[in-house]
Amino acid sequence: MEILVCIKRVPDSAENEIVVDDGGRDIRRDDLTYSVNEWDNYAVEEAIAIAEREGGNVTVVSVGSSEAEEVVRREMAMGAGQGLLLQDDAFDNSDGRGIASILKAAVTKGSYDLVLTGAQADDGAAQVGGMLAAMLDWPYASLVNKVEVSDGKTLRIGREIEGGAQEINEIQTPCVLSVQTGINEPRYVGIRGIRKVASVEIPVLDAAALGIQAGSVGPSGARVSRVDYFVPATGKGAELIEGTTKEIAAKLVHLLKAKGGLK
Amino acid sequence: MAQILADRRDIDFVLHEQLGVESLAKDERFADFNRKAIDLIVSEARNLAMKEILPTQVDGDRIGARFEAGKVTVPESYHKAWKALRDGEWMAMNEDPEVGGQGMPRVVANAASEYLMAAGVAFLMHSGLTHGAGKLIETFGNDKQKKLFLKKLYSGQWAGTMLLTEPDAGSDVGALTTTATPNGDGTYSIVGNKIFISGGEHDMTENIIHPVLARIEGAPAGTGGISLFLVPKIWVNDDGSLGEPNDIVCTGIEEKMGIHGNATCALSLGSKGKCRGTLLGEANKGMSAMFLMMNDARLMVGNQGMTLASAAYMYALNYARTRIQGRSLLKMRDKNAPAIPIIQHPDVRRMLLTMKVYVEALRSLSYYIAYCNDRVALAADPEEKDRFQGLIDFLIPITKGFGTERSFDVCSTAMQVYGGYGYIRDYPVEQLLRDVRISAIYEGTNGIQALDLLGRKLGQNGGKPIRDLFEEIHATLTAARGVDRTAPLAEKMEPLVLRLEEVARHMGVTAMYGDLLNAAAHAHPFMMACGEVVTGWMALWRAQIAAEALGKGAKDKDAAFYEGQIKSAEFFAQTLLPVAMGHLEAILSGSTTANDILEDSFGGK
Repeated sequence: MEILVCIKRVPDSAENEIVVDDGGRDIRRDDLTYSVNEWDNYAVEEAIAIAEREGGNVTVVSVGSSEAEEVVRREMAMGAGQGLLLQDDAFDNSDGRGIASILKAAVTKGSYDLVLTGAQADDGAAQVGGMLAAMLDWPYASLVNKVEVSDGKTLRIGREIEGGAQEINEIQTPCVLSVQTGINEPRYVGIRGIRKVASVEIPVLDAAALGIQAGSVGPSGARVSRVDYFVPATGKGAELIEGTTKEIAAKLVHLLKAKGGLK
Repeated sequence: MAQILADRRDIDFVLHEQLGVESLAKDERFADFNRKAIDLIVSEARNLAMKEILPTQVDGDRIGARFEAGKVTVPESYHKAWKALRDGEWMAMNEDPEVGGQGMPRVVANAASEYLMAAGVAFLMHSGLTHGAGKLIETFGNDKQKKLFLKKLYSGQWAGTMLLTEPDAGSDVGALTTTATPNGDGTYSIVGNKIFISGGEHDMTENIIHPVLARIEGAPAGTGGISLFLVPKIWVNDDGSLGEPNDIVCTGIEEKMGIHGNATCALSLGSKGKCRGTLLGEANKGMSAMFLMMNDARLMVGNQGMTLASAAYMYALNYARTRIQGRSLLKMRDKNAPAIPIIQHPDVRRMLLTMKVYVEALRSLSYYIAYCNDRVALAADPEEKDRFQGLIDFLIPITKGFGTERSFDVCSTAMQVYGGYGYIRDYPVEQLLRDVRISAIYEGTNGIQALDLLGRKLGQNGGKPIRDLFEEIHATLTAARGVDRTAPLAEKMEPLVLRLEEVARHMGVTAMYGDLLNAAAHAHPFMMACGEVVTGWMALWRAQIAAEALGKGAKDKDAAFYEGQIKSAEFFAQTLLPVAMGHLEAILSGSTTANDILEDSFGGK
């Protein structure tokens, strides 16, 4: 099975304090530490596991600046066989639809049976997977937490339903799945994997190579544009629990019971 | 808060701007380790440290290693972390791939280890000792021993230890009484009791391999009659399969101040007369063989100190930035003045800057020694090889002895920054302070390090290592004089360096021809003074690179970092250097009081 996994380089929330920039439309990115989007990492693990089980190849692809190459290489060190970087100044500041259309161009240049994305990324829009499927006119399932290959063309996939319920669906390949965290336990990157990919040239495709009109993506092609970005003021109704850790835990349990969160 | 185990910007600075480690990849041996690989390795070590090793830190402290009926168990999180270390092949990063290593430059492995160690020092001791035991076998083992044990240790399938100390043979290893009697089949029967064995027993691996110091019957007394033996917890058959359990009993583990997550075992060998081992290396050459492992272990302990100090500094810095307490001293009378983050209080800034200077210098020293090891490995010219090896030899007691004392000071200062909260368990520096304390004691107390520096290293090869070190320091002084912002700092540093040269001669002469006891009484101050000069050297070296980078124009984030480097060197030159100079004067005074005072005059009677 030929699998393509779409990945994104995002600020690492474990290492960064996020601060809104002076322009008020984005966060300050200069001082940040970056890593691969957590959801995407689960998707890559799932793809590698499927390829190990069923045979096939895994390619990871990212739309981004030259710095995005580091996460492509990282996921290759994890076990993806190929990497692809989609990079062009025209791609900068694309909206979700723009990103999906760039990815669509990459998908159609290959011959993939399955495309995986993370369920969402740092901006939380959770839109690229669905849009990509629509553009390709492929079946799509979101929030996938289980994938089994029934036969060459059919997958049985599990989906997380609100309230903790679970459903199982059958879906025909080629298809797009957006993957939820918790579907697996992503492997760590080992030194052997890093050595293997340290000097590998990662192909870079620009707008021309992908057959994309520069004006159809980026800010000019965007149909959604962010106009403001801020940390909301603390509202009423929030209660700050103070005390020692034990006291805080005890009060929290008491409150959860009182409000019906715990029975 | 963001979880920061180590300062990545500073690690990258040392690796790439101070030492230029990427150039090591020009040699075929390190060709795989280009900048991209190095960056990935450090990032992934951090990732592994945060997700798998950090949970062992608190578990190790609160649950700890537990002893029951001769068996030791470690917390559940240890098993998962050990598997992750094994899967990623992080155990023997810098060893030859032919024997199960990853062939990485030691300086890069040092950077990876910094993250791993900062996340769980008690846990990581297991892999450090395993690596060390493997290295002994790689260096001194015969073909059979290598075949049976080496890859299993380097892969972490089995764990390793080192068995030196006995109840009456601690700092004086030569007094050990464990015996080895030939069985006639190539094996020896080992009988004796060993104590203070880190990781001597646990349930993380199916087998534990103990390199054991013992005396073959009839061998000379003292260290010249000591041999090294390989004694597995479970006997290993010739085909590599596991045989019967060896006659080794863990009779208890110590209740310690810190590193509760690493069992400190008392082991009884051969209490039923059935403990078997094989000779590792030559008979009666055990001590010199063990020194190979000891030297690496001393570097590891120096690194333990540095990483815990660095983590403590990171915590204290973050706390000082976020803890709001007290008004500005300039607005004391204004009752409505807002409270400010404590990082704005002058005394807190003094503490933070002191910590910063030592943490940065110790990191540079640690990486520099590892880099010298790589240069030894690559040197084609024997003279160049000897020069770097001499520098390593001289700097080991300094990074271990001076480094761990200053690391404890840094952790203690971190606690001070937290105030009362620092003293309670809910905050991390309380554990760091307890965990770091052992580093000044084990692998040779710092008193032993000082004697090693004075007795072995100062006069080694006719004093060439210390002369080479001074040459390196003078090269930095010259470079710093050529940069406007560091030229005045170099001027301040030079008299300190020259004074140390004088003190070194004085110490050498006193030890050789004058009063050995008097030299020994000043050995520790001498080691500490060497450490202070090395601190100043590293601070100046860093500042000179930073000033040049600023001169070329640096981005906002980098500019603040580089300014911080110059401030560290300034603080050293203006505040810490005069104190170091005072210590040098005290050594030169040749005071004999410590030896003159009557034992009864110490009081208590």
